[in-house]
Amino acid sequence: MIKKTFLVSAIAASAFACGAQARDQVQIVGSSTVFPFATAVAEEIGKSSGGKTPIVESTGTGGGFKLLCAGAGDNTPDVANASRAIKSSETEQCASNKAGDIIEVKIGYDGIVVANSRSAPQLSLTLKDIFLALAKDVPDADGKTKPNPYKTWKDVNPSLPDAKIEVLGPPPTSGTRDAFVELAMEGGCKTFPWVKALANDYKDAFAKICHSIREDGAFIEAGENDNLIIQKLVANPNAMGVFGFSFLDQNTDKVQGSIVENTEPSFDNIASGAYKVSRPLFFYVKAAHLDTVPGLKLYLAEFISEKAWGPEGYLAGKGLIPMPDEERAKVHSDVAANAKL
Amino acid sequence: MTDDTDFPKAVAAAALLQRRYRAETRFRWYGILATALALFFLGAMLISIVIIGHSAFRQTFVKLDIFFDPQILAADGKTDTDSLRRADYPALVRTSLREMFPGVSGRREQRQLYDLVSRGAPDSLREQVVKNPALIGSRASLWLLSSDDVDLFVKGEISRDTPESERQLTDLQLGWAEQIVAQGAADLRFNTAFFTTGDSREPETAGIWGAVAGSFYTLIVTMLLSFPIGVMAAVYLQEFAPKNRITEMIEVNINNLAAVPSIVFGLLGLAVFLNFLQMPRSAPLVGGIVLALMTLPTIIIAARAAILAVPPSIREAALAIGASPMQTAFHHVAPLAAPGMLTGAIIGMARALGETAPLLMIGMVAFIVDIPEGVFDAATVLPVQIFLWADSPERAFVAKMAAGIMVLLTFLIAMNLIAVILRRRFEQKW
Amino acid sequence: MPNSDKIALAAPVLLKDRASAPTGFSDAAFARRRWLRSLWERPVYLLLVLSSLLAILTTIGIVLSLLFESLRFFEQVPLTEFLFGLKWSPQTALRADQVGSSGSFGAVPLFTGTLLISLISLVTAGPIGLFSAVYLAEYAGKKTRDAVKPLLEILAGVPTVIYGFFAALIVAPMLRDAGGFMGVGISSESALAAGLVMGVMIIPIISSLSDDVIASVPNALREASYSLGATQSETIRQVVLPAALPGIVSAMLLAASRAVGETMIVVMAAGLAANLTANPFAAVTTVTVQIVGLLTGDQEFDSPKTLAAFALGLVLFIVTLCLNITAMRVVKKYREKYD
Repeated sequence: MIKKTFLVSAIAASAFACGAQARDQVQIVGSSTVFPFATAVAEEIGKSSGGKTPIVESTGTGGGFKLLCAGAGDNTPDVANASRAIKSSETEQCASNKAGDIIEVKIGYDGIVVANSRSAPQLSLTLKDIFLALAKDVPDADGKTKPNPYKTWKDVNPSLPDAKIEVLGPPPTSGTRDAFVELAMEGGCKTFPWVKALANDYKDAFAKICHSIREDGAFIEAGENDNLIIQKLVANPNAMGVFGFSFLDQNTDKVQGSIVENTEPSFDNIASGAYKVSRPLFFYVKAAHLDTVPGLKLYLAEFISEKAWGPEGYLAGKGLIPMPDEERAKVHSDVAANAKL
Repeated sequence: MTDDTDFPKAVAAAALLQRRYRAETRFRWYGILATALALFFLGAMLISIVIIGHSAFRQTFVKLDIFFDPQILAADGKTDTDSLRRADYPALVRTSLREMFPGVSGRREQRQLYDLVSRGAPDSLREQVVKNPALIGSRASLWLLSSDDVDLFVKGEISRDTPESERQLTDLQLGWAEQIVAQGAADLRFNTAFFTTGDSREPETAGIWGAVAGSFYTLIVTMLLSFPIGVMAAVYLQEFAPKNRITEMIEVNINNLAAVPSIVFGLLGLAVFLNFLQMPRSAPLVGGIVLALMTLPTIIIAARAAILAVPPSIREAALAIGASPMQTAFHHVAPLAAPGMLTGAIIGMARALGETAPLLMIGMVAFIVDIPEGVFDAATVLPVQIFLWADSPERAFVAKMAAGIMVLLTFLIAMNLIAVILRRRFEQKW
Repeated sequence: MPNSDKIALAAPVLLKDRASAPTGFSDAAFARRRWLRSLWERPVYLLLVLSSLLAILTTIGIVLSLLFESLRFFEQVPLTEFLFGLKWSPQTALRADQVGSSGSFGAVPLFTGTLLISLISLVTAGPIGLFSAVYLAEYAGKKTRDAVKPLLEILAGVPTVIYGFFAALIVAPMLRDAGGFMGVGISSESALAAGLVMGVMIIPIISSLSDDVIASVPNALREASYSLGATQSETIRQVVLPAALPGIVSAMLLAASRAVGETMIVVMAAGLAANLTANPFAAVTTVTVQIVGLLTGDQEFDSPKTLAAFALGLVLFIVTLCLNITAMRVVKKYREKYD
């Protein structure tokens, strides 16, 4: 008995010991969409500063916020990447767990594409098509909803091919899911006048109709790994995938984005705002860790430098769509002031 | 004794015999076929891995004329290490490329030109300048790492025949790459970086050493925990345990634990070590503990078999000269059973080396570039690194993944060979 | 160690005792030394017992942690829905203002998917493993045996992530193309691809266990059969295999247990969508894939999503435990004692 408790307490002591010593490595969690950019910056400062490279984990935007807002201690991450802005409920959670100040940093724009393999024909979709193909319950003309009856794209819109609806997309932990639901699904949903009328006064009912995605197998939640979606698209020419533009940009030889509302998903169209399904990308830094974790300020400074996020920067080469010049300068000065860089 | 008049029966008997012989031959051939099929699968797997992975051991370098421009490197005259580290080395590479292909204009075309060289190439320039600041202001012809797409082209995996939209290199880039090759400025060299660097976002700079070091530290923790405990448990069960229900229960437990799916151990690690004890994620420490729990039954079973193989006469001789049971066990029996125990331990370690599922659960799936230097540093292990590379989009990571598999298999074969050699050398026939 | 060495080792002790009497090393001093030795040996003995108990501690740890989290899960989702429900849609909303899936946790499609892939793997590995064991044990010469057996052991030692890579990148596309060629729609994540590769993985389990069992059938039985005029194949089919049957069945059960608990091959090669089907060409998902999927990412231990992974783990543990215990019982109960 004594030996057993000794053994257990020895292990526990070592655990607490390594928990107690201050962390010397930046820990980043969050969005899989921002993951390629965060890792690029992390690797860059690791090499140029000669210090430790930050560790980046792809947990999804929602998961990232939960981890970030779990507290202010050393065992919580320093940065949460996000492919959407933080919600008020998450800010409240941070406050109630005493996580301290969270500095928001907008890093650029990203489009959400509905892509398929190049060996299949490119589709031209409207937001209404997307909504009708993926909604759980579709509204009909006279104020009622019915479970989604459409099995093929042709059912949704006769001009689309007669192929089974099979879409791989992000789970609810993903910010891409939230953004997709708010931009594409809502956009298509609002083409029904009576649903649009609900938007102001009956928010819950509106959300229920417009945000629910079908669960009968036509929409498959493919986890936080967008690269895996691309591989599955290549393996299955019939399937479509929902993910960020940067992944399309890095794999144009394998997949193509569908034309949405008569706009091609391209770098210029997203930057100009012509491609409707686009959203800003962020990361959120825990202010309390700026002085305690070495390398965090360096990471922040590098990410908001022209070398990284400018139009000539290496992040643009990875598919990030930079903000316009004035916006970039403003975010830079705001963040530099907030974080006392 | 055969009745010669009963001819039809004899014929029937002979026919039956022929059928039985044919059935015999068929049966034998089924056996040969089955064995051959099993071996064929093994061979097919290994050969396909080698075919896909061998190209990752060589990497393309391009020769560039680099001018160490003092305006870029030390514009304000500062030549201390920090300023030199932070200078814009990619600019040196970009200038050199523009000199190599004058007449390239427009942002899009220039971007394509710069993409010919690896994003990690300026790092070798940085290292050279930091080590030797006297280089500033000089010109040199250096071999720099090419991008992964140019590397694929040089290895012959990109052809002009595929339509441009389906190729990783545009027509322009293809033309430049062909020019570079024609000038003799491209060279395929042995990829030492693969064995010395850690993970990277760019396939051409990704290496396996971080994962190897992580596996090493994890296995050390596993060995330090499971070997002593396993040997002690085996000694107890074989030498001292009374034959009662409790002992039987322990033995049944050990046999069952040996067959529990590895993912359940991952769940255990997640619930108890990460959630309850709040141990650090991604550290070899937790991974080592989980793997130790998994290997423990294997080591106990192997050690018991080794102890069982020691003949009773050794024990009786020791007892006869006044040794206590404890002394018998540790001074006489255990040393003789040691080779068998060690063999079992090595085989257990080999299995632990290849485990992926439990480590996925405890967070060893982050992007970690640095080489771990201790048991508490964040790290990943070889099989998890292979798994992560399998999910990466760049075509060149496929070859890297297969190369990683070859490294893993080499370690496994080496460990198994050591175990077999140990067994052969120290095996005693009683 | 030759006997002379043992005596040489023991000599100091023996001689010391002999010499001690005349030099006055008293019995009391010797008794004291023995008491000191037992003082040291007691804690060591305790350490040995505790090491053995660690195995039980681990099992208890596994059961408790799985049970604890699963019970919390079953507070939120009824057991009957989990065990008998047909809809698996676990990706519930993360926040109050988000709309996620409806959170149905009916695990039957997962069970059928696991069953389908395991069945395919057993159908693949069973005949190959058994026939190669028969060949190696009965027909092959010593040289062939010595060459082939280690090679089959290599199959057992290959890490499963390598099998997963093989299944996902080579076998699945090959099957898909073959299916397209023949006009049959084979999914790129078909149960067939994962099942075939898993079958290759468990061939060595069936083969080496069956080999041992077949080899342990006493020769007297074979020779008796030969003396009656049976050919070798008839002997094997009618005498040896029936005698070895309990061991072979046990080997199959152990292989099944391994197939059910396998993770990496299915994570890389099987599908993600729960699909209630018996079609080997369709994509199905298994219990282990869902455990991995539910636990990477959001790790909060309050949501039914994370806890569902533990419930699935508990089911997996119980099923493999039953298979293992049955395997051991079968051997114990039906094995004939020949001596």
